[in-house]
Amino acid sequence: MAEISFPLPDLGEGLIEATVLEWLVSPGEQVERNQPLVEVETTKSAVELPSPQAGKVVRIYGGPGDKINVGEPLIEFEVPDNTAGIVGTVPKEEAPKRRVRLSAVLDED
Amino acid sequence: MSNSILEGVDAEGDSTADSTADSTADSTVKGTAKNAESPATTVMSMQQALNRALDEVLAENPKAVIFGEDCGRLGGVFRITDGLQAKHGTQRVFDTPLAESGILGMSVGLAMAGFHPIPEVQFDGFAYPAINQIVCQIARMNYRSRGTMPMPITLRVPSFGGIRAPEHHGESLEALFAHVPGLKVVSPSNPHEAYHLLKYAATRPDPVIFMEPKSRYWQKGEVDPGNADPSGGAPEGAKVMREGRHLTLVAWGAMVARCLQVAELAAEDGIEIEVLDLRWLKPIDTAALAASVRKTRRAVVVHEAPLTSGLGAEVAQLITQSCFDTLKAPVERVTGFDVPYPSGDLEDEYIPNIDRILFGIQRVLEYKRG
Repeated sequence: MAEISFPLPDLGEGLIEATVLEWLVSPGEQVERNQPLVEVETTKSAVELPSPQAGKVVRIYGGPGDKINVGEPLIEFEVPDNTAGIVGTVPKEEAPKRRVRLSAVLDED
Repeated sequence: MSNSILEGVDAEGDSTADSTADSTADSTVKGTAKNAESPATTVMSMQQALNRALDEVLAENPKAVIFGEDCGRLGGVFRITDGLQAKHGTQRVFDTPLAESGILGMSVGLAMAGFHPIPEVQFDGFAYPAINQIVCQIARMNYRSRGTMPMPITLRVPSFGGIRAPEHHGESLEALFAHVPGLKVVSPSNPHEAYHLLKYAATRPDPVIFMEPKSRYWQKGEVDPGNADPSGGAPEGAKVMREGRHLTLVAWGAMVARCLQVAELAAEDGIEIEVLDLRWLKPIDTAALAASVRKTRRAVVVHEAPLTSGLGAEVAQLITQSCFDTLKAPVERVTGFDVPYPSGDLEDEYIPNIDRILFGIQRVLEYKRG
């Protein structure tokens, strides 16, 4: 398993920090991509941050009222090593299935 | 890096399950001469094999540099460059802006300055914005400069479909690249091939387009780092992956594994199929094609790319030219369709599946001269 850290992104031009209002996920929880993670407030607005990826939440940074700087860790996920950061889906290895049978009279000339 | 796929936890875990017996038997048969100098065969995924090859290339060639979108800190969206920046430093492995024309344009400059750039275009469909740099600069500079400015560039392109990704993430550009004079094009089909072909490509004085079959990245297989080809084949040749006498399936990249499955199924029906992994799509190993089809007298080419003007047409012509007198039937092509690559949900309908390949084989088998 690999741990992936998601730092607080730039939430608008020139914003340097945000205040945590409420965490919508907790450590140990499995989250899906785009699932809302946390509600934060900047000097411009309050926004929900969607998860950039699927994974298990390992730790979260800051409680309600705490300030986090842009670029500092916000949340860490645990994901299987070989799928860390992947676009798309790892194909499943499946036993070959067929409906077509071959038939031929092969003259061995 | 603690999360590096190089750690090989997976590989070791797996090798006990299905390959310990094989690799032991292997080393006994092949004798001790080889083992004295080469590390033992290990089981690893294609991701790990490519990662290891790049790691060794960086260590062996101080002029080699790796760069691309997310190649550095993240280690690539497919983890191919995982851990390399931490090990070799930010001067050798680094991130670029989202600008393929810049990635390839910079490669031209670096090559002129004596480096061996190993850029990555993150996905096949992202190569289009860099076509000018690839076709008009990289492919021609050596020719244009009368050999004074070689372009030793190894362009890695995660290619083909099969991972349910969005648009631009599942395309097969081999015919486009192969059409350009000055480029070499290669695609590995398994971890062993991936390791050796990448190491070979990265030592060429010419630009090589290295098409990685992304749907096979997680496939595990034995890699023998000390022995590229037990049968002693040429590094730029095609490779027979399974011998047969009734028909030759010609494929490359991800389609090789599928053709091997088809050959297994065809054997149940009494049809013995030879599977030829073309490996190099430019130049094509015409001698290997001819040798196989002269024996089997029938051929089917399989590729994911659309039918019209696909590389299958070139292969069919080369076979016809060299085997016309012995062919039992016209060469068949089983390919993707003449449509833009579909969204992930429709992928299975687009990529040649086992039944479509079997149908193609059946058409060849039952062909009667008019």
